[in-house]
Amino acid sequence: MTGLATRYAALIRAAWLTDLQYRAAIAIWLVLGIAQPLITLAVWWAVAGGGEVGGYGQADFARYFFALMLVDQLTLAWDVWYIDRWIREGELNFRLARPLNPIHEAIADNIAYKMKTGTLVLAAWAGIALAWPAVRLDVGPARLALAVLAIALAAAIRFVSTYVNGLLAFWTTRATAIAELHFGISLFLAGRIAPLSLLPPAVAGVAGVLWFPYMLAFPVEVLTGGVTTAPDLLRGFGWQCFWLAAWIGVYRLVWTRGLRRYGAVGG
Amino acid sequence: MPAILAEGLTKHYRVKVREPGLGGAVRAVFRPRYRDVHAVEAVSFRIEPGEVVGFLGPNGAGKTTTIKMLAGLLHPTAGRVEVAGFDPWMGGAAFKRRFALVLGNKQQLMWDLPPEETFLVNRAIYSIGWADYRRTLDELVELLRLGDVLGRPVRQLSQGERMKCELAAALLHRPEILFLDEPTLGLDVTAQETIRAFVRDYNERYGATVLLTSHYMADVTALAQRVLIIEHGTLLYDGALAALAERTLPVKRVTLVLAEDVPRAALAPYGAVREYAPPRVVIEVPRRDAARVSARLLAELPVVDLGIGDPPIEEVIRAVFEGAQIGEAR
Repeated sequence: MTGLATRYAALIRAAWLTDLQYRAAIAIWLVLGIAQPLITLAVWWAVAGGGEVGGYGQADFARYFFALMLVDQLTLAWDVWYIDRWIREGELNFRLARPLNPIHEAIADNIAYKMKTGTLVLAAWAGIALAWPAVRLDVGPARLALAVLAIALAAAIRFVSTYVNGLLAFWTTRATAIAELHFGISLFLAGRIAPLSLLPPAVAGVAGVLWFPYMLAFPVEVLTGGVTTAPDLLRGFGWQCFWLAAWIGVYRLVWTRGLRRYGAVGG
Repeated sequence: MPAILAEGLTKHYRVKVREPGLGGAVRAVFRPRYRDVHAVEAVSFRIEPGEVVGFLGPNGAGKTTTIKMLAGLLHPTAGRVEVAGFDPWMGGAAFKRRFALVLGNKQQLMWDLPPEETFLVNRAIYSIGWADYRRTLDELVELLRLGDVLGRPVRQLSQGERMKCELAAALLHRPEILFLDEPTLGLDVTAQETIRAFVRDYNERYGATVLLTSHYMADVTALAQRVLIIEHGTLLYDGALAALAERTLPVKRVTLVLAEDVPRAALAPYGAVREYAPPRVVIEVPRRDAARVSARLLAELPVVDLGIGDPPIEEVIRAVFEGAQIGEAR
């Protein structure tokens, strides 16, 4: 285990140093990542006016979308873009020749990014919350612990599913297009456009058994107090664990098969 | 136990055939056609520990495919491979610590950071202790003359400096087997020589086994006593470099410097005139006649200087590929 810890420390350090070279690019991604929830918030803010929409007033929307912004940054996964390149352009070769599964490099990269942007978004939120009481969260230590757990599980599901998506490049040149489609669906089913309770019941029902809300909406609701009862929390964490295990299973299958295919047709 | 053993190693791919144009693209969607590519066909060889073997062949001959099978990146269609006692495909981490793979056209160095950062990552990945790491790195820095390069971002390095750093990154764990695929590709003569000297030194110092592909014959002649020649996936020759010339082009080249002009026609009776640039001329003669013809040339022509040599190895190899008197594989 200490061996793995040393490896992660080295990989995270390298990822940080690399990111330092791309400060401007990361700032732009961060702004884009923050802009989307803020724009959606502006729309709901106008729709709600002085009243409520589906039980959400302006302040509720503000809290929801600020939490969404934070959770989105903390669970962000973009791996499909570079795994697709590793596979198509043969950059996987030297990684396969090293005694470490390449997924660890991707995980380390994710941790490095999230430690940095998470801190930035949290600081920005704290600053805004000082001036704007509506976005302040009323969370005790217990709820905070639950939220941290929900965010960690969400990040893991999002990472593994995105990584698997990237591995589809073993078979298709359209892995990134599939990722775009996945993101498009998640706009609705993960709670990006609106809290899930505002979706038509049938759609919300379908979303509830898929992995989408557990990558985003569920940790957001845990953080903002939208999910409070023990059965709801248990159900949510249960689905998170189920989908994480399922995606890890899919990863194992796709990785083994993909390597075999790569080994069969070459890179 | 051999360091590398290949028995009947075969690799076939199935690739989609796409006809040009829109019609072809549409047909490919509905009725895809496939073609079997026989990248490597029943190749067998055995390399003993400490040997340096040159792997020659034109582009697409199957060199890189073979190396990738030896490194466990590709799964053979048929045949058996054993590298350092492992089946490369199943060898896992224990196997991966035993070899290094350097692909001249792909780099593992992190582009935006100084090379030492990649070294540190590899130190962790290969679980190299700090003392070993420092000692090996110091040696590599000295041998490859990397002193002033370590602290500069990779993107600012010249191609030669980058390749030297690639080698250092790949060798930090002191692998006993080196697969070097075009390590001198695109480098200037000085950098090529540094890398050759380094590979020779590494081989001598650690008794490492080296399998080297290169387009530059000088790499092979400088490093390898033995060559494997592959074309269309088939092994054409496996044996000593010196014997290859004797077997393939059993000729000698006699180079003359003449005191006065001799007409080309007057040289023809001695052998095939390869170069005619008086006062320097080159005549090719059968190997067994070289001494006798040279004596006659000295006696009969106004010779100032005379030298006997082999045809350039490039020509020998070309002759192999053109199918001229191919020696049987060993």
